[in-house]
Amino acid sequence: MEQAPLRAFLADTLALWGVAGDVQQGRGPAVAEICTANGALVWIEPASDDAPFRWQVRWRAAGEAPGAPREVRPRACSSLVGVLAAMREALNVERGSAVRIVPAPAQT
Amino acid sequence: MIPVSVITGFLGSGKTTLLARLLRDPGMARTAVIINEFGEIPLDHDLIETSDESFVRLSNGCLCCNVRSDLTLTLGELAARRKAGSVPPFERVVIETSGLADPAPILQALMADGELNGVYALDGVITVVDALLGLNTLEQHETSRRQAALADRIVLTKSDLQGARPDAVAQRVGEVNSGARLLQAVRGDISPTLLFTGGSYGLSGKSADVSDWLAHEMHAHTHAHESDIASVSIVRDEPLHAVTLALLLCALAENCGADLLRMKGIVNVAEDPQRPAVIHGVQHVYHAPAWLPRWPSADRRTRLVLIGRKLRASWVRALIELLEQEVTRESARHG
Repeated sequence: MEQAPLRAFLADTLALWGVAGDVQQGRGPAVAEICTANGALVWIEPASDDAPFRWQVRWRAAGEAPGAPREVRPRACSSLVGVLAAMREALNVERGSAVRIVPAPAQT
Repeated sequence: MIPVSVITGFLGSGKTTLLARLLRDPGMARTAVIINEFGEIPLDHDLIETSDESFVRLSNGCLCCNVRSDLTLTLGELAARRKAGSVPPFERVVIETSGLADPAPILQALMADGELNGVYALDGVITVVDALLGLNTLEQHETSRRQAALADRIVLTKSDLQGARPDAVAQRVGEVNSGARLLQAVRGDISPTLLFTGGSYGLSGKSADVSDWLAHEMHAHTHAHESDIASVSIVRDEPLHAVTLALLLCALAENCGADLLRMKGIVNVAEDPQRPAVIHGVQHVYHAPAWLPRWPSADRRTRLVLIGRKLRASWVRALIELLEQEVTRESARHG
């Protein structure tokens, strides 16, 4: 996955959520580093090729000191959908509900 | 399945006039009508003359606030009485919402309630917009915009009155929901065949219906109104993996929340490209994708229409692209 489109998408996501912040290229393994206006930091890293998941997300929530629990023990995510869920938790974003699929009406 | 249509529109837009006129049409016989009034003195039911085979039920309070307790119970009771023969064997239900109702919870209840689902199928949403005052109403009241955004058909009323601005109202309505079919009715005069399809909210499986609601959305454009309701159209040439589609629905529901009012689309699924999947949802509730027997035209592109607040076409496009990249790579990795 190309990193620049991913970072642009994450920046658009912050806008969608109404979160002030920016997305930059991260240091080390992080392909994106999110820094919000209230001081939260989120790092998004691709998982190693042999890992059973695709991403891991670390964060230091607003007000937390360096070495916060999720900064040390990243959340594993199997898809971009999981990355967004981790970001919402890190940034304390209340958004929608889990998708609910209901049976389609019988055809008449 | 008994088709259920929802007639909505802001206070004074002309819903009751439209309904009263419709019910005089012989084609509307055997129609059960549920009127939801918001006020201490219900009046609308007195303004509607019913034939022997159509009748009126009243619900107190606002349907969108009491949708479980009122609408579900009322429809359930109607079905039971129909089965028992204590009411005429109605073949259609029309719900007139109060002018202040948000239609989304009503639609969700109709779509998602297990008991209702076996008996009723949502036919469509008809939103009445006043050509005299509608422009101002749309600007001032988000409820009015939500009513327009969720419509399958929008009926412009009062265009015969002095000072009416039907063209300007039609343009604004098109910005909110360019996928809805726009119609006009003077004093409620309109053929029921233009309003009622007998299908199920764009999921009837009829190719013509799908084509109809996609017809106005072919240009992949977006109408951006900051912090306002607008429609976003996505057209994609390449097929999508089925898993991508599932992930997309999850991502939209979880990340857009109540800002996503409605989504509908026709999807070229990579695993079954000979027939399209039709998807349709209100906020986070989606029907399971329905498969059309064949493509309705030579155009086999995936086309999605999303209506909501603060939505950006670029965000939706990037989401789809990134998810598809991810799924394609995983598919290749696991053979």
